[in-house]
Amino acid sequence: MHIQELILRLQRFWADRGCLIGQPYDIEKGAGTMNPLTFFGALGKKPWNVAYVEPSRRPADGRYGENPFRVYKHLQFQVILKPSPAKVQDLYIESLSALGIDLTKHDLRFEEDNWESPTLGAWGVGWQVVLDGMEISQFTYFQQVGGLDCRPVSAELTYGIERICMFLGGYDNIFDLTWGEVKTDDGVFPVTYRQVRHREEFELSAYSFEHADLNLHRKLFDDFEKEGWHLLKDYGHFRSAYEQALKMSHTFNVLDARGAVSTTERPGVIKRVRDLASGCARAYLEHEEPETTKDPIKKQEVAK
Amino acid sequence: MSETRTFLLELHCEEIPARFLKPLTFELAEKLENFCREQKLEKSELDHHCSPRKLSWTLTSLSTQQPDQSETQVGPPQKMCLDAAGQPTQTGLKFAEKWGVDFSAVRFEQPAGKKEPCAVVGVTKKGRPTIELLAEALPKLIAALHVPKAMRWGNSEFEFVRPIRNVLCLFGNEVVDFTVDGVRSSNTTWGHRLHHMQNPNAIVIKQPEDYEAALEKAGVVVSFEQRRRRMEMQLHELAQGVDGHVVMDEELLSTLAEIVEFPMIVRGGFPADFLDLPEEVLITSLKEHQKSFCIRNDQGLLPYFLAAANRPIEPGSEAEKLVAGGNEWVLKARLYDARFFFAEDRKTMLELRQDKLNSLTFQRDLGTYREKSIRIRDIADAVARKIDPGMIDDLREAAMVCKCDLRTLMVGEFPELQGIMGGEYLRLEGKTNIWLAVKEHYHPSSSDDGLPSTPMGSALALADKLDTLVGCFAVGIIPSGSKDPLALRRAGQGVVRILWEQGWSIDVMELASIAFRVVGPKATKSETDTMAALESFFRDRVAHQLEQAGYAGPVRRSALSIGWSDLVDLKARCEALSAFAEDPRFESLAQSTKRIGNILKDEALDQSFDTSVLQQAEEKSLAEHLAAMESAPDHASLLAFLAELAQPLEAFFTAVMVKCDDPALRAARLSLLHRLHLAFLRVADFSQWQ
Repeated sequence: MHIQELILRLQRFWADRGCLIGQPYDIEKGAGTMNPLTFFGALGKKPWNVAYVEPSRRPADGRYGENPFRVYKHLQFQVILKPSPAKVQDLYIESLSALGIDLTKHDLRFEEDNWESPTLGAWGVGWQVVLDGMEISQFTYFQQVGGLDCRPVSAELTYGIERICMFLGGYDNIFDLTWGEVKTDDGVFPVTYRQVRHREEFELSAYSFEHADLNLHRKLFDDFEKEGWHLLKDYGHFRSAYEQALKMSHTFNVLDARGAVSTTERPGVIKRVRDLASGCARAYLEHEEPETTKDPIKKQEVAK
Repeated sequence: MSETRTFLLELHCEEIPARFLKPLTFELAEKLENFCREQKLEKSELDHHCSPRKLSWTLTSLSTQQPDQSETQVGPPQKMCLDAAGQPTQTGLKFAEKWGVDFSAVRFEQPAGKKEPCAVVGVTKKGRPTIELLAEALPKLIAALHVPKAMRWGNSEFEFVRPIRNVLCLFGNEVVDFTVDGVRSSNTTWGHRLHHMQNPNAIVIKQPEDYEAALEKAGVVVSFEQRRRRMEMQLHELAQGVDGHVVMDEELLSTLAEIVEFPMIVRGGFPADFLDLPEEVLITSLKEHQKSFCIRNDQGLLPYFLAAANRPIEPGSEAEKLVAGGNEWVLKARLYDARFFFAEDRKTMLELRQDKLNSLTFQRDLGTYREKSIRIRDIADAVARKIDPGMIDDLREAAMVCKCDLRTLMVGEFPELQGIMGGEYLRLEGKTNIWLAVKEHYHPSSSDDGLPSTPMGSALALADKLDTLVGCFAVGIIPSGSKDPLALRRAGQGVVRILWEQGWSIDVMELASIAFRVVGPKATKSETDTMAALESFFRDRVAHQLEQAGYAGPVRRSALSIGWSDLVDLKARCEALSAFAEDPRFESLAQSTKRIGNILKDEALDQSFDTSVLQQAEEKSLAEHLAAMESAPDHASLLAFLAELAQPLEAFFTAVMVKCDDPALRAARLSLLHRLHLAFLRVADFSQWQ
């Protein structure tokens, strides 16, 4: 199956089941959860179903396009269902059928895998979904986001798009996948993942491991932090401040891929990102649901 | 006895993490036991099962009716219930009315704990139907289960390990009616997902006795033991199918039995060129990434693996092809990664990674792994001087590279391969003198793990563990109660076991003190405090070691209380004492030694005595025995002399009056006993023998 076909099917499937179809958020990030559609959507009481593709950058996973399985950037398909429906597992399984996976012929397991994002102050419990021995999705019931309890609880489903495509097609190399087909007056031209992404993988790997200016990134990290708190404190602007937290997070990942953050420094650096993200979460709730959220937030603050 | 029926409760949840299945099942089983006891309900057996989506409990022959219970109710004092004429007062009448009896049924007795006679009636508390009691109790028992990593879901505030989606609860053929977090109990449940792809309806269980068979038909084997047994059989069969045997891993097998509802093992293959990877890498990669087993024959590993599936699979079916093929595909990706790590790692000699240890923190106060390596080298050097100076150079070399593999890609991916990879890389580099010592230097990693196979490996392990232990103690990290995050007790046990099993006669505390000097500059606590804490720590570890070695309590106590710094000596004493305790003469000797202890108490003691002063035959004989004992070369011969001493000692106490009037004679007799006592103390303190 083409990459784009898989995306289209998932979008159709979840739109038909009452999800908004969102778009990737245009700032580098390590995981689809960081998209404000999830980060803020999972907070507060309002019902919220949304599905979208998110390119996820993991500088440490860069392999210069030489490794057939591991890449600097991959695509996640992310679904948020708030509150989590009683039949959420069944819904997920149906979505696999929509991808053409005949489950009467495969082995499916839900194995414990609890998710935590220290930079977002978020955690949940759930599973990795394993099909014939391969992890194809991550399934999480959010318990906290931005250090705040999720009430109600959202279910988050994350599909690894390339992996599922490779698995379905039996590909041994991610770059052999087809993205889609281009039809012109001259004929039909299949376009591979290699054509679309290989050079990008090579250059971004080289950037992460060799060319990124570490001093610049250290400075950027500090500056984004300053900017974020300025926006949040002086204007109460949680959306623009959150963008700064995202940039801090990516900057940290670049530094980390170079081994430029020592193990002792690490927790402290992560905490700086988390503090800003949590501040944004709090400000969001105060803004969106002032009447219902004041008390629990205060209570949590006192508890700390 | 009254009528009985079988009770069945099943909580059907979304997949429960394997590690919580058993604790939850056991906990509710215990709560059900208590419930029956408190409610005085008779039953014969309590049985329970767990599988990924189901926790279930059955009580067989549970009585349907709680028995009536007669109780005595105590009321107001007699003088308030009867007036002067002996007629009932208002208070008296009210008491009778409260318990629904005529006043004539009220007796006056003095109940225990009361100062005067009180009104008393015997009442019968009517027993209630069991089904009612169950319906009331179960929601509370379930909600009170202790869930270590609890979650909420949907709109609810209810907390459990994973969402509860169905509750099946039967007492005989009746439904025990209650609700847990909005889910109402019924006589239905759900089978394997695969089963319900063809059969959309829930499964009706008419009576508890049908439960297991009905679910087996619906693709769920409810018994953990059965799933485990079936998989074990399949593993052996499938391995034999390719003329090999399975590389068994009991822990993995149990985990698999906890994550499938239906046990099925499939065999797959991988390209044979991956067999170039070290065995440990293949086994670990298969286990950690794919929960799969390797197959081996006498020559080594075979290019096959065994993986678990969670469904029935017909041999030769399309499903078999897809499931095995899928697992093969994933495994190939994993092995490809492993080979990449292996090849990358080998591009750089292990020793060249020493600098990279500078940026790897071992512990905040104790610095980097580079610093640790240097300390290991210095401690190892001192150890080698005591056991075999010939190994000093190799040991120093090994110490400096033993942590280098922490900076390899392979150990980054599989932390459990630390040590093993370092050893393998060194072997491939041709470092024949040190590779094995490095490979094995994390052993023993648990009580059932063996020591490094060579003395040099043991010496390296000893130095590493001493550095960790003494270093941590010196910066105030000391295990207490259940708090031991750095597993220092295990390290301590390792130190003791290495000395014990290698037979190295080195004082543990002297080693600790050497290590403290090496750690020196990092210490934040004083040497006195650190050594005191270590002394009590090691004493506990040594005591534990004696227990592990299987010595009886009295042997351990009496041997330990006279010293443990030399473990080889301690072991010899324990051995000798254990043998001696079997000797029939031992009992009499133990009595006599206690007697000596009592006599010597409160006496000013002198070791020198003049044998010529002694008069009686019994005491002269004893003095001869003493001379022989004092010249005994080892514990065994000392104890042999001790055995011989039993009779003369007894004779001595019968015939000789120690505290006689003649001061010279009295002093000589006391000294004789005192020296005997000192001789005993070379092996054990018999006052601790009880």
